[in-house]
Amino acid sequence: MKTIYTVLIYFLFTSLICAQERYLTKNGSITFFSSTPIEDIKADNNQVLSIIDASSGKMAISILMKSFMFKKALMQEHFNENYVESDKYPKATFKGRILDFDTIELTKSKAKVTGTLTIHGISKEITIEANFAKSKEAINVDGEFIVNLADFNIKIPAVVSKNIQENIKVSFKFNHKPYKK
Amino acid sequence: MTKKRITLVILILGIIGAFVAYKMYNKPHVDVADSKSDIVISADKIQSDFSTNENLANSNYLEKIIEVSGEISELTLENKKGIITLKTNDDFGSVLCHLSDNSTQKMNTLKVGKPVRLKGICTGYLMDVILVKCEIIN
Repeated sequence: MKTIYTVLIYFLFTSLICAQERYLTKNGSITFFSSTPIEDIKADNNQVLSIIDASSGKMAISILMKSFMFKKALMQEHFNENYVESDKYPKATFKGRILDFDTIELTKSKAKVTGTLTIHGISKEITIEANFAKSKEAINVDGEFIVNLADFNIKIPAVVSKNIQENIKVSFKFNHKPYKK
Repeated sequence: MTKKRITLVILILGIIGAFVAYKMYNKPHVDVADSKSDIVISADKIQSDFSTNENLANSNYLEKIIEVSGEISELTLENKKGIITLKTNDDFGSVLCHLSDNSTQKMNTLKVGKPVRLKGICTGYLMDVILVKCEIIN
């Protein structure tokens, strides 16, 4: 009986410690940019949810496709209705982990993040490099990477194929704060 | 004479066509401040609708202009843009209202703990219900 209690108390404490080591932002930003001689397309999303578990270096990101704001309403409409089909696939997600998370210092340092990126219902393993700055009060991450539209089965009609790049530059910036509640 | 007339008609049609195409290309975004709300709801109700059945709530609320009322639990400024968090009965979920530039300037008139009424466009549900381009009504 005693051992059961010991085990229970042990689990209780470890879960409490883990809960304190979560860092989170609900206002992360992701911007993507496509530039062709015909037109530049840029969209911002400032409502990205990102969580880092500081004890394991695991990272989870959730993105609402309809939160991407374009300069032109028509672009936003085409993006949601035709390209990423956000009624069918309302979210994009990333689940993965930060490599060598323990070695990241207060000052800016580079680290690799590896995991599964899911856009438009299609999952792909990616590994990218990002800039990290870690302290007790915050974990800040920013960086950029390239998304190939064909990889995620996002089809661009031939009529507008000259207006949109095949490889889209995506940049991100997440300022995580310790999660309390 | 008739040939001239035909070319003139074609020319006029062409100009109209180009004008319509240009107008469509530059179609403005929905003006939240000037539009009527599609749905009037409490912060509590919309949050519980999303947490019980997200798919159903998505089809009911996404891209609609939602007028939401609730108690302010947090006021934040991120990248010069105001965010109002509305309290709900749920311990974890809330309604996050991202303000327009115009309403961000009016945010200093608001206080935590006070009731507020806002309208904005619903983009979905992560940990919280998210509304963007919000305007403060009162």
